[in-house]
Amino acid sequence: MTSSSASGRKTLSKIACNRLQKELLEWQVNPPAGFKHKVTDNLQRWVIEVNGAPGTLYSNETYQLQVDFPEHYPMEAPQVIFIPPAPLHPHIYSNGHICLDILYDSWSPAMTVSSICISILSMLSSSTMKQRPEDNDRYVKNCRNGRSPKETRWWFHDDKV
Amino acid sequence: MADAAAQEEEVAAEVEAVQAVYGDDCVVLESYPPHLHLYIKPRTADVASQQFVEAVIGVRAGSQYPNEPPHIELLDSKGLDFQRQKHLMNSIRDRACDLSSCLMLVAICEEAVEKLSVMNHPDGDCPLCLYPLVPEDEQSKVLQFMKLMSCFHCFHSECIIRWWNWIQTEERSNASDSSSAHVPPIRDLRNHKDTRGAVEESMGNCPVCRKVFHAEDFEHVLDLVGNHSSHLSLNDNEDDDGEKLLQSESENARRQNFEALLKSQQENSGLIEPKKNIVVLPGMLLPPPVASSTSETAKESAEEQQREPPGTSEMHSGGSSDRPKTHEQRSSSSRERRVRNTRRPVKQWIKKESGRAE
Repeated sequence: MTSSSASGRKTLSKIACNRLQKELLEWQVNPPAGFKHKVTDNLQRWVIEVNGAPGTLYSNETYQLQVDFPEHYPMEAPQVIFIPPAPLHPHIYSNGHICLDILYDSWSPAMTVSSICISILSMLSSSTMKQRPEDNDRYVKNCRNGRSPKETRWWFHDDKV
Repeated sequence: MADAAAQEEEVAAEVEAVQAVYGDDCVVLESYPPHLHLYIKPRTADVASQQFVEAVIGVRAGSQYPNEPPHIELLDSKGLDFQRQKHLMNSIRDRACDLSSCLMLVAICEEAVEKLSVMNHPDGDCPLCLYPLVPEDEQSKVLQFMKLMSCFHCFHSECIIRWWNWIQTEERSNASDSSSAHVPPIRDLRNHKDTRGAVEESMGNCPVCRKVFHAEDFEHVLDLVGNHSSHLSLNDNEDDDGEKLLQSESENARRQNFEALLKSQQENSGLIEPKKNIVVLPGMLLPPPVASSTSETAKESAEEQQREPPGTSEMHSGGSSDRPKTHEQRSSSSRERRVRNTRRPVKQWIKKESGRAE
């Protein structure tokens, strides 16, 4: 499943393009540990392979993140989802949507794909049980029309996991 | 025993010397064995806007001091990344080892000031565009940068202003969204009470550390924000214009004027005397021939209007009227002015719309 709203997205602004090229370059020199960028010619959509950190519930598991960049990145946050099957985690819905404040309210233009990846891995690593969020079924049903997680009104339950 | 007492006295005198040199920037937590906190800033930082780094170091000597060098740690710093922090502390510690068995507190502090003075420039990349703040090679174009006064994080002026305009646009569209009844998507999230309250009252948060910054942090580029907002919009084709404008001669001159003004303001504790070179000229006080809203900033030539941001210097408008000009010339230049004036809000309106249409 891919988000339909992403395909209808406006193309990147020149500023966004420059910034993403710079990020890609930096990533090639110094990728965040546990992540692999799957090379495509599409600068606006990155697919990134995540390896669960050793010694955590997700070690030896591999997942895929899809990062879509809006026209005015980095003023606007990118849309970041797991391509299903998404990891079993109390803050990750089965449709791949991630409940993580920095992707929505707390986004800052000084963040990068790399820093997002590190946050997500840290979120996975601190999990103590493999389970879906309590409202998973209801939420996923609501998103059936391919709604972007950026349109969700998130409220961030706890910062422990 | 007498030796030990003499030594203690010498060390006490040394601590006093440090206090004398550093005044309020030195906090003595313990006089013997000495334990000090020192607020270090570069020697080259007389003007606040020229200070890009600072550090607080702790110096704690043991009972064997000065035969054993004191323990030195970095308690706090601004404008220094990890590499530069390490470099600073290594050179201070090296200095301390070199001076082993001498009284070295003053020398340590001097070393810290010296190193910090050398490092008193912004380092690394702009956190927003990720390109270097100060290009290493001479060839690349130099972009103006600025720092936030509270946290010393540096950005290209252009980048931070663009971000600032973005927030402003969001605020505006939030305001109009919330007045209408429909349920807005993302904007509403951003409009969350914390974010909004913070922005309204204290202007914004540093994109890097989220430290709330206040009006005075932005003051030194605020005129840029006002005058260039239409040029520095998020629109691509306008971007180049904005860059050209920021690099233009008149803009640099204006910036220098502003720096000088700021300096004199600081020297005179906020009071600025009117410029001496304003003279009363014949015709200067005559009622303007065109509507007051447009005549105020009428300039000599259309060319200058293009290069110079509108409304920056009232002085020019006064000075310009000494040139003999026919009414035709005047009204033609002010007509241009009016065209520009009407164009600007339209641009902003477009920008706002595109921001919302996302």
